[in-house]
Amino acid sequence: MPDNQFGRTVDAVSRRKFLAAAGSVGAVAIAGCAENEASDSDGELSGEVVVKGSSTVYPISVQMQERFMEQHPNVNVTVDSTGSGGGFQNHFCPGDSDINGASRPIKSEEQDLCAENDVTPIEMNVAGDALTVAVSPDNDWVDCMSFDELAQIWQEGGAETWSDVNSDWPDEEFVLYGPDTTSGTFDWFTENVIGEAGNHRTDYEPTEDDNVIIEGLENDQYSIGYFGYAYYAENEDRVKALSVKEDDSSECGEPGLQAASEGTYPMARPLYIYPSEEAVQREEVYEFMKFYLENSSADWIADEVGYVPSSQDQVDENMSKLDEAAGN
Amino acid sequence: MGNESFDADLTRSAHGQIAKERLYHWLLFFCAALTVFVTVSIVVTLAVDAVAFFRQVDALSFFTGTEWESSRGTFGVLPLVTATLVVTAVSAIVAIPIGTAAAVYLSEYASDRMRSVLKPALEILAGIPTVVYGYLALVYLTPWLRKGGLDLSMFNLLSASIMVGIMIIPMVSSISEDAMSAVPDSLREAGYGLGATKFEVSTGVVIPAAVSGIFSSYILALSRAIGETMIVVMAGGMQARMLDLTNPFANLFNSGQTMTAAMVHAVTSDATGGTPEFYSMFAIGLTLFFVTFSMNLLSNRIAARYREEYQ
Amino acid sequence: MATTDESTGSWFGADGQVSQVRGLLFKLSCLGATLLALGLVLVFLLYVFNDAVQPLTADTGWLLTFVVTLVLPAVAVGVYYYTRDTRAGEVAYTALGLPVATTLLAGGVVITFEHIVSPHAWFALALSATVAFGLVELHARTRTAGALERLAVVVLVPLLALVGVPGIAVDFPVETPLLGQELFRLSFAIPELVPSLREVILALPVLPTAAISLLLTFTLPIAAAAAWHVRRVRESDRDGAIAGGATIVAAGLGLVAAPLVDLSATTWVVLATVVALPVGLYVESVVRRDVGVSGLAFPVVVAAGALIGAFLVDALGFAGPDLWLDWDFLTSPASTTPRDAGIYPALVGSVMMLVVVAVAAFPVGVGAAVYLEEYAPNDGLLGSIVDLIEINIANLAGVPSVVYGVLGLTLFVRTAGMQSGIVMVGGLTIGLLILPIVIVSAQEAIRGVPDSLRQASYGMGATKWQTVRNVVLPRALPGIMTGTILAFGRAIGETAPLLMIGAAAVVRIPPDTFFSLFSAMPRQIFAWSKEIETEFRYGVLAAGVVTLLIVMLMMNASAILVRNKYQRQN
Repeated sequence: MPDNQFGRTVDAVSRRKFLAAAGSVGAVAIAGCAENEASDSDGELSGEVVVKGSSTVYPISVQMQERFMEQHPNVNVTVDSTGSGGGFQNHFCPGDSDINGASRPIKSEEQDLCAENDVTPIEMNVAGDALTVAVSPDNDWVDCMSFDELAQIWQEGGAETWSDVNSDWPDEEFVLYGPDTTSGTFDWFTENVIGEAGNHRTDYEPTEDDNVIIEGLENDQYSIGYFGYAYYAENEDRVKALSVKEDDSSECGEPGLQAASEGTYPMARPLYIYPSEEAVQREEVYEFMKFYLENSSADWIADEVGYVPSSQDQVDENMSKLDEAAGN
Repeated sequence: MGNESFDADLTRSAHGQIAKERLYHWLLFFCAALTVFVTVSIVVTLAVDAVAFFRQVDALSFFTGTEWESSRGTFGVLPLVTATLVVTAVSAIVAIPIGTAAAVYLSEYASDRMRSVLKPALEILAGIPTVVYGYLALVYLTPWLRKGGLDLSMFNLLSASIMVGIMIIPMVSSISEDAMSAVPDSLREAGYGLGATKFEVSTGVVIPAAVSGIFSSYILALSRAIGETMIVVMAGGMQARMLDLTNPFANLFNSGQTMTAAMVHAVTSDATGGTPEFYSMFAIGLTLFFVTFSMNLLSNRIAARYREEYQ
Repeated sequence: MATTDESTGSWFGADGQVSQVRGLLFKLSCLGATLLALGLVLVFLLYVFNDAVQPLTADTGWLLTFVVTLVLPAVAVGVYYYTRDTRAGEVAYTALGLPVATTLLAGGVVITFEHIVSPHAWFALALSATVAFGLVELHARTRTAGALERLAVVVLVPLLALVGVPGIAVDFPVETPLLGQELFRLSFAIPELVPSLREVILALPVLPTAAISLLLTFTLPIAAAAAWHVRRVRESDRDGAIAGGATIVAAGLGLVAAPLVDLSATTWVVLATVVALPVGLYVESVVRRDVGVSGLAFPVVVAAGALIGAFLVDALGFAGPDLWLDWDFLTSPASTTPRDAGIYPALVGSVMMLVVVAVAAFPVGVGAAVYLEEYAPNDGLLGSIVDLIEINIANLAGVPSVVYGVLGLTLFVRTAGMQSGIVMVGGLTIGLLILPIVIVSAQEAIRGVPDSLRQASYGMGATKWQTVRNVVLPRALPGIMTGTILAFGRAIGETAPLLMIGAAAVVRIPPDTFFSLFSAMPRQIFAWSKEIETEFRYGVLAAGVVTLLIVMLMMNASAILVRNKYQRQN
C-alpha cells in the first residue's frame, strides 16, 4: 500500500507538470489555430458575402447563392431568413451583413439606424410577387373583381354575404381565408387594396400556411381568399383565380407573372434587396450583386420560385445604381 | 523515486506556495463568479432595450392589454401569456401523471436490469433536441390528430403542447425518482413491518415523504415548458390570440403565439427595426426571465426542504 | 404510537386479495406510463427513420435478400446468445458497436483534418508544442527556479513556439458603457517581430506528405498512449511495445496499401488509429480473458451478411430503397433541389461549435464547481455571496434558451464587436447556456468523493490545491465527464440561440476557422422545415433529423458508458 501511495504521488506530480505545460500549450494552440485565414493562391475570387433579410425574398436569394457559387466556389455566400426588420436592425445596419432582402421599402427608422453606423443602403427592386385572389372551383358567378369590391369584402365591418357586394351574387355568407396579420402580404393588401392601414377585418381565418388557404377554398363553395402567386402556381387545378381591376374604368387583369411585370395585373407587390454602398466596394459582393441583378430577369425566377422577374429596364437601372455605388 | 519530487516541493519557498494557493483560490472563485456576471448581463441586456420599449409603450397597457398586434402598434401581452399558460397546462396534464408514474416504477418496482435499460432510455428522451420535437409535432402529430377527427389548424397549440409535455416527461421522472430514491429504506422497512403491501408503501410512505422533491420536479418541468421555444415556433404558429374562455377547445385547435414564439417572431418578421414592435422582444424576454427565474427559485426552495430532511 | 397503529390499521386493509389486485394494477399502470413515454417517442422516431430511409421503396427481392443474408442470421445468433451465453451477448453487443462508433469518430477526425487543421498545420502545431513542452519540462528538471521564472518560462516558451511575437494592431474606440459615447480611440499597430516555431516549420521547403505528418504526430502519440496503457494493465513492457508497434505498422501500411483499396492515405492512417486500434485492443482483451469469445462472431456474421447481400442484389439486379439519408446527403451542401440537398457544412459547423463550447464551458464549469464544493466558505460576507452564486446557478439552468440567444447577440456581437453568425459567437453563447448544467453535474460528482480521501491527503501535508488536483479531481473525473457530455448533447441540439445570434440558414462552405460563418445542424433543420415542397418536409428534413439524432445518441451513449464503467468500479 505505501508503495502505491508513493507511486500515486509521483504520478500526480508529473501529471500536474504535464497539465501546466499542456494547459498553456493548449491555450496558445487554439489562438494559433484561429489565425490561419483561408487564402486564395490561384487568384480566384474569394471572400464572404452575407445575405440576410425577408423570408419572402429568401427563396430567390438562395437560388442566386447556389447558382453563383457554382461559378465561384471560393466565395462563401451565406443566406439567412431573418425577416426584413430583423435583418435591418440586427445585421445590416450594424454592418454585419452585406445585403438585406426586404418585402417592403426600408422605413425611416431603419434608415436612421443605418446612418448612425455609416451604412448606406441602396434600394433595388429585383422581383415582384403577384398577389392572387382565389375562390372555390365551384364558384360560377364571379370572374373579375375591382379593388373596391375587394375592399368591401375585406375591410373592418365589411360585407357579410356575397349579395351585399353585388346583388347578382348569391345570398350566402362569405368564408374568408387570408394570410396572418404578421405577413408582408397582409400589409400590402391592407395598404393598397383596402387603402387604410389597420382597417383589415379580423374575423377571417388567418393562417401562416398558404396550403391551408388552398384547402379551405377547395372545400367551400362560398369561400374567397388571397395569397402569394407561388402557391397558386402549384395548385392551379385546385382553386379558381380571379382577375382583378384597379377601378371600374380599367380592364380586368388575369393574374400571371407576365401580366404583373407588364403592369396589366394590378396586384403586383415589389420585392427589394438592399446592398450597402460600403459592402459593394468589396469585389466579391460586387460580383455577387452583378450576378444577382443580371439573373433577376431570368425565367427561372418565375418557373422555380414563382415570382415576377425584373424587366430589362429594371435590371439596367439597378446595374447603373450598383456601378455608381461601387465607383466604377 | 518519490523522494525527488518531495524534495523539490519542500525546497520551494513557502511564500511561493501560499501565493500559488491564493492564485488558484481566486481563479476558481472567478469561475464561480462568472455565473453571476451572466445573470447580471442577461438582466442588463434585456432591461436596457425593454426600457426603450416602455418609453414608447405604456407599461400598464402592456401588462393588461388583451390584444397583441405588433404590426398595428397594439401591445397587450396577455394573449401571449395566456397562450403560454395553455401550453404549460396541457403539457403538465401530459407530463405529470406519466412522469410521476414512471418515477414510482423506476424507484420502487423496477428490477435492476429493467432500470439499467429504462433510465438511460429516458435520459436519451431528455437529450432529443427541441427542434426535433417541433418537427415531430408539425410533420407527424398534427396530421395524425387531424386524421383522428380533430378539427385542427395546420399550426395549433394542441400538438405543440402535447410535444412539450412529452419533452418534459424525463425531467419530471428523473428528478422525482431522485427524490423517491432519497427516501431512506428504513421508512420503507417500517412500512413493511406494519404489514403494508408494496403499493401501500409506495403511495402511503414514499410519495408523501418525497413530496417536496416531486413538487420541485413539477415546477422545474413547467418552467421548462414556459421557456420552450422551438416546438411552439414550429408547430404552434405565430398568430397571437387572446384566450377565449367561452370556447376552450378553439384555443387548442387554432394557432397561438406564446411569449417565446413572439420573441423569435420579432427577430424573424418584417417588423421595423428600432420601433416598439422590435423592442417588444426585450420586454417579453424580461418578463419571461423573471417568471422562469422565480419558478426555479421556488422549486429550489422546496427541493432544499427535502434535502434537509433526508441527507 | 397507539394512534399511529390505529390510523395505519385502518388503511392497511385486511383484505389481501383486493390489495394484491390493486397493487398489481398500480405497478402495471406505472410500468405502462414509463413504456408509454418511451413508446410514443419511439413510434415517432420510427416514422422519421422510415421517411429518411424509405425501406419499402426497395424491390421485394432486395428486401428478401437482406432478410435472408443479414437479418435472419443476426437474429439467430442473437437468440443463441440470449438463451445460451449472456456474456457472449455482451461481447457481441460491444464488438458490433465499437467499430461503428469508432468509425463515426474517425469521420469526425477526418473532418477535423479536412477543415479545421490541415495535416501539415497539425504536424507543425504538434511538433512545436512538443518542443515547447520538452523545453518547459527540461527547465523544470534542471533549474529549481523561483515561481516567477517558472511562470515566465511556462508562458513564454509555448508562446514563442506556437504564435511567435505576433503583430498587434489595435483600433478600438473606448466608450462609456450604456450611452455609447466615444471617449477616445485606442489605435496602434506593431508588425510581427518573431515568427513562431510553428510558422518556421510550415515554411520549410520540404515537409513530409500529409499522411506521414499524421503518422508522426497523430498516430505516434496515440500509439504511445495505447502502449503505456497496455503496459500498465498487463505489467509487461513487451505487450506494451507490441500494442504500440502494431498500431504504427497498421497505420504505416496505409502509405503503401491505401491506393489499392481506393482510400486516401490520410484516411487510412486515421482509420487505423481511431478504429483498428480500439477494436484490436478490445478483441485481444476478450480473447485473453476467454469469456464470451463466441460473441466476437456476431460482427463477423453481420458484416459477412451485409457483404453477401450487397453482392447478391447487385448480381440479381434488385434496386435498393430510395434513400434520403445517403452518403451524398452527408457530404453535400444544402440545395434548393431536394435530391441534391445535404448537411455537410452544417455538420462541420456543429462539430466546430462544439469544440468552442467544450473549450469555453468545461474548464470554467469545473473550476466553478471546485470552488463551490472545496473552497467556498460557509459564513461571513463571502459565505453569503457564495450562497447567492449557488442559487443563481440553479436558476440559470432554467432560463429559456432564447434569452441566452439575446444575451449572446448583445454580449459577443454588439459589445465585444465580433462578427455575427460565426462559430466563435455561437460556441460561446451556447457555452454560457450549458455552463450551469456543467457546474451542477460537476458539483454532484465532486460531492461524491468520500471525505476520507481528502482527510488522508491533508494528513500527508498536501495543500488544498494539491488535494483538489491529486485526489478530488481524478476521482470525480468520470462523473464530471458524464455530466459534461450530456450537456454537450444538449448544446449540439440548441436552435433558438443560433437564430438570435444570426447563424445563417444556408451556408454552403464548411467553416474552416473558428471565426468563419457557420450553420449548425439544428439551424439547417429549422430552415428546411419552412420549405413548401413536401419532398423537403418528409424526405430531406427526416434525413437531417436522423443525422442529428445519431450524433446526439452517440454522445449520450458514450456518457452512459463512462458512467456505467465508473459505477462498476465503485
